[in-house]
Amino acid sequence: MWNFLKKSKGFLGINERNIKYISPFNSKRAINIADSKILTKKILKKAGLPIAETYYILHNRKELKNFSWRNLPKSFVLKPNRGLGGEGIIVLYGKRKNQECWIKADKTPLTVNDLNNHILAILDGDFSIINIPDAAIFEERIKIHPIFKPYSHKGIPDIRIIVFNNIPVMAQLRLPTPESGGTANLHRGGIGVGIDMANGITTHAVHRDRLINTIPGSKLSFRGIKIPNWRELLQLAVEVQKATGLGFVGVDIAIDREKGPLILETNARPGLSIQIANIAPLGERLKRVIGLKTKNTPHAVRISRELFGGEIEEEIEEISGKKVIGIREKIKIFGPNEKQYETIAKIDTGAYRTSLCYSVAEKLNLNKIIRKKSVRSALGNEERDIVNLKFSLDNLLIDTEAFLAKRENMKHDMIIGRKDIKKYLVDAAKNVRLK
Amino acid sequence: MHWQPPSVAPILTMIYFINYLLNNGVPQETIILILMLPIIATIIAFSRQIIGIKTFGIYTPLIITFVFLAIDIRYGIIVFITVLLAGSLVRIILKRFRFLYLPRMAILVIIVALIILLMFGEAAYSQRTEFIGTSIFPILIMIILVEKFISAQIEKGARTAILLTIETLIIAIICYIVVRLEFLRSFVLAKPGWVIAGSIVANILLGKWTGLRLFEFIRFKDVIKYVELPEKK
Repeated sequence: MWNFLKKSKGFLGINERNIKYISPFNSKRAINIADSKILTKKILKKAGLPIAETYYILHNRKELKNFSWRNLPKSFVLKPNRGLGGEGIIVLYGKRKNQECWIKADKTPLTVNDLNNHILAILDGDFSIINIPDAAIFEERIKIHPIFKPYSHKGIPDIRIIVFNNIPVMAQLRLPTPESGGTANLHRGGIGVGIDMANGITTHAVHRDRLINTIPGSKLSFRGIKIPNWRELLQLAVEVQKATGLGFVGVDIAIDREKGPLILETNARPGLSIQIANIAPLGERLKRVIGLKTKNTPHAVRISRELFGGEIEEEIEEISGKKVIGIREKIKIFGPNEKQYETIAKIDTGAYRTSLCYSVAEKLNLNKIIRKKSVRSALGNEERDIVNLKFSLDNLLIDTEAFLAKRENMKHDMIIGRKDIKKYLVDAAKNVRLK
Repeated sequence: MHWQPPSVAPILTMIYFINYLLNNGVPQETIILILMLPIIATIIAFSRQIIGIKTFGIYTPLIITFVFLAIDIRYGIIVFITVLLAGSLVRIILKRFRFLYLPRMAILVIIVALIILLMFGEAAYSQRTEFIGTSIFPILIMIILVEKFISAQIEKGARTAILLTIETLIIAIICYIVVRLEFLRSFVLAKPGWVIAGSIVANILLGKWTGLRLFEFIRFKDVIKYVELPEKK
């Protein structure tokens, strides 16, 4: 029990969030901007940040009356300006030919009359924060990135990044589900998936505050999805914080198939389930970045990735004192007369000695054969040349003796054998697609 | 010998003041209820900040408690639930007509007033004298609540609104029970200064409380188990 209380200390609750982070770091003015999609977009646009295109904005009934529906494109999104938690958002995917009728994600048609009614509800403030009259926004429909397609149900997933003191602290991928009705909001039944800050790879998933492993009703795991443009996303989130002036902010970014990352909205009171999806305490992370000074956005992103990423790998490295390398690694070979050659080598724990291709050896004048050794391979006995070889792997210099082999037609110039990787641990799932 | 709290001048003055009010005809019940206000407010603040029960602000559960005190709690709960059900039903019916906000609310209030009239009719028919004698103010308060509840329904969805209402009702019932406690009633009259000073201190502490709420402990319990404590060196 005592241990449980001690462990819970780093978790951020609503009380602490409000007292320690929202009220001192988010000014009333900044919150007001964050609550209005129109104002937020204006500011982000001014700062040169990517946002979804706005087609039209309707402020009152008169504008609605004079609105010409013909101008609307085939597909678009209709949103309330001050909507809360994704309420009141309609996504239209297509239009019937020669008809003023659009199709929703679930294939139900919407006529001009239906749209008109929905916009009236928005203008009346049915979806706004305190029922104050609101504006309706027609916006470009974001097209889903193929990587998220298998995981998301009729809607666009987005990435929520919490930024504090200009440093991204925690992130999660939010996926729409059948029950969340096309929006990715967790309290409406969306799924949140934690993301490793260092490499943008997903870790654990949460649905209705419970940890889950696979998509309900299937075997598709949420683990190991690699978020595209991860570094760019982190940088964008930092830039958004700088532009909006919110000291503690949740930035929602979607990734469009063609346009890349687009900022959806900013949230001055980000939810706390993100801690469940990441199995990590947010309060503790926030405390670690309080007062940290960053030089610029790339620096802030670097700090974030160092501080909050790759915890598992780092732990292993700490325990074993050995670095973890992948199945492919970038290396640099040093020849005599300061010649250098960079390549990607394959780590081969089945081979004892490292082998290098003759062609590379020639380029680097490494062909001073010190001795020969006969080896038995699948092709029978073979006499191989051995040379002195110096190369760097993961910032460590390795000075060894290596075979020369004919590898011109092979995928890799060089394979690294057991003899030279005794200082490392090999993770067979790491860097599989390194290029 | 009775234990006496150390007498402090302003707290003593408070007792003289209460006696003065009583001697000049202010009803004792009124004074007790006013002095109960800080206690009820503190209970509501406590259940929000420490337990995590969400209510419609502090005013709503407080005023429902007083309604329950004014009319019998059984009738109070029945009226409360009937009024809210009627309000939601009317909202759903009115939704398709697309009225502006205020006229829509006005129609809602009119219909709720009608329903309360009908309830009086029923009470008259079956001779429920306690209910018939109810003053207008508790009834008016119930109508105010309809607006709050309906706007919560529109904003946050039916699920959240219903949860909020149930939690508000629970808190109001707890407060009602507390206010009816005999020993507390006499304590409030005997030590009014202590009640007020104590409530202020309690709320100052609550206002700076940054710990996890009880409901958050439950929400995060599975995850907390996974967290490793940093090793002390």
